[in-house]
Amino acid sequence: MNNPYLPQVAKIIDVKDEAPGERPIKTFKVVLENGNSLNHRPGQCAIIGILGIGESMISIASSPTRKDCLEFSVMRLGTVTSALHECEPGDTISLRGPYGNGFPLDDWKGKNIVTIGGGIGQAPLRPIVQSILDNRSDFGDLTVIYGARSSHDLCFKDELLALEKDGPASVHLSIDAEEPGWNKFVGFVPNNLLEIKPSPENCIAITCGPVVMIKYVIKNLLELGFTDAQIFTTMENRMKCGIGKCGRCNVGHLYICKDGPVFSYDTLKDLPEF
Amino acid sequence: MTTYTLPKDKLPEFLSALSDYEIWAPVKKGPATLFDRLDDLKDVDLDLENQPVISKKAIFPQNEPLFSYDRKGTVTETDLNAVKNTIVFGIRPCDARSFTLLDPVFEGDVPDPYYRARRSKTALLGIACNDPFVNCFCTSIGGSPFGREGLDLLFIDCGDLFTLEVITETGKEITGKASSLLSPATAESSEQIAQAATDKIKRHIDLTGLPEKLASLFEHPVWKEFASKCIGCGICTYSCPTCYCFDMQDETTLKQGRRVRIWDSCMFPEYTLHASGHNPRATRTERFRNRIYHKFKFNMDNFHSYSCVGCGRCISLCPVNIDLIDYLSRVKETE
Repeated sequence: MNNPYLPQVAKIIDVKDEAPGERPIKTFKVVLENGNSLNHRPGQCAIIGILGIGESMISIASSPTRKDCLEFSVMRLGTVTSALHECEPGDTISLRGPYGNGFPLDDWKGKNIVTIGGGIGQAPLRPIVQSILDNRSDFGDLTVIYGARSSHDLCFKDELLALEKDGPASVHLSIDAEEPGWNKFVGFVPNNLLEIKPSPENCIAITCGPVVMIKYVIKNLLELGFTDAQIFTTMENRMKCGIGKCGRCNVGHLYICKDGPVFSYDTLKDLPEF
Repeated sequence: MTTYTLPKDKLPEFLSALSDYEIWAPVKKGPATLFDRLDDLKDVDLDLENQPVISKKAIFPQNEPLFSYDRKGTVTETDLNAVKNTIVFGIRPCDARSFTLLDPVFEGDVPDPYYRARRSKTALLGIACNDPFVNCFCTSIGGSPFGREGLDLLFIDCGDLFTLEVITETGKEITGKASSLLSPATAESSEQIAQAATDKIKRHIDLTGLPEKLASLFEHPVWKEFASKCIGCGICTYSCPTCYCFDMQDETTLKQGRRVRIWDSCMFPEYTLHASGHNPRATRTERFRNRIYHKFKFNMDNFHSYSCVGCGRCISLCPVNIDLIDYLSRVKETE
């Protein structure tokens, strides 16, 4: 039988300094060494790691429509992510997955989409943006609202600025505090959302970021007239197994690794601990 | 149901007739009786105290290598074909039943090959509890001192002899290997002992409506009060036959390493600690509450059963006398 704990071997083909800030983020492009595809859905995660060090559950930051590689944007925080940050192109890592439910993009066809991200929380939202750009006529308007502590902490800055310029999506970047040369919104992401006021009409809003940001974003979306079923978020917790057995990632009776990480607010609002 | 008798002094012979199997049993180790692999038949200790280390580890080991690897990154999977046919002898009915509660977790959407390999090759030979212990409450939670759920064979201590009830095909196969030691028996002789044992259980709780009650109490201050006594030692989870939470860690030497699965406990802060420093269950209040909710509500939501068999170990072993039954009774009375 298939052993869900056995990792595959993945080769790093590119490492990019994504955000050089105080809590640095690198984006790793990897390919499976056996040449197979992971066949993931946007919003799913994979457990990546280094043999001898350990594993971490990381969201897949690239869309399955981009077939040349998988991308992971990783903030350097703990033992595993610190070791990953030492890796260079040509190094191999362990990889298993994909895990979780992913975003129900098929259900969202024909709708306007708003993504609201904060910090490293843009990583799981990026595959939505890419999937829509790659199937542009299937969806309505695309609005990307994204902020970070400072301009040094913004991920995917170049591609978001290019997207803003070229116009297939409207992009609204923000930073938390004033900086010389920053002429876009200054303040927290939930406040930027209230400035932009996306219409709830035929719209789905997806948010990911720090827990406190998610809570205020949801509050403000409800204020703008979004219903519970129109709001989605993607969550994280410490994980080990990835398949709902090791116990630690539960929110109420649901396990983020297998029942999530994507939850509609409709489901989430009834869960204890949220 | 086929029933046999076995003279008590023939037990070593009975077990040696099963030498094709790896045998686990309550074993005398110094001053304690522990559940362990049986190397010498003479070591079997049937004077069952409430075995503090439970039989769970015969199927779900406390430490289990998942795979090993070398410096080049070549991974070698643990050979699960090497798992031997195993007999767990002397298991209590509550502990046998606990495996039926672990099954849906480890099978689930993605089956766990390590658990399945041992579970499918392990026969459970139980001993009915003629003398339940002081904190046993199995009858309040769907079990009984003579419960057959999960067992292949039930041994009943009838003085000079055991009565053996054959419960499954596997049980039948096992008695077949020792048939020369067994005589046919009449079943009714054990019913009185069973009733007497059930009558000896002193602790009871009516759990009707508990999951619904818990649904309304999540934010109640009672959890802070309950948890204030807890020292977070985790013995309630390590001694629990239905707890299954685990960690996965890498153990390495210069040349090689292995990834090991080890029992973990939801009572420890590290269990849920994020690398960022954020902890969704930062204090004992949240951890204590999660343990109770997992066992008496979330498991009901997911698998339609409590994650508890009423063995009473968490009560007997708690160093600060946290009494699950008292606390659950208080939950039921809380408004």
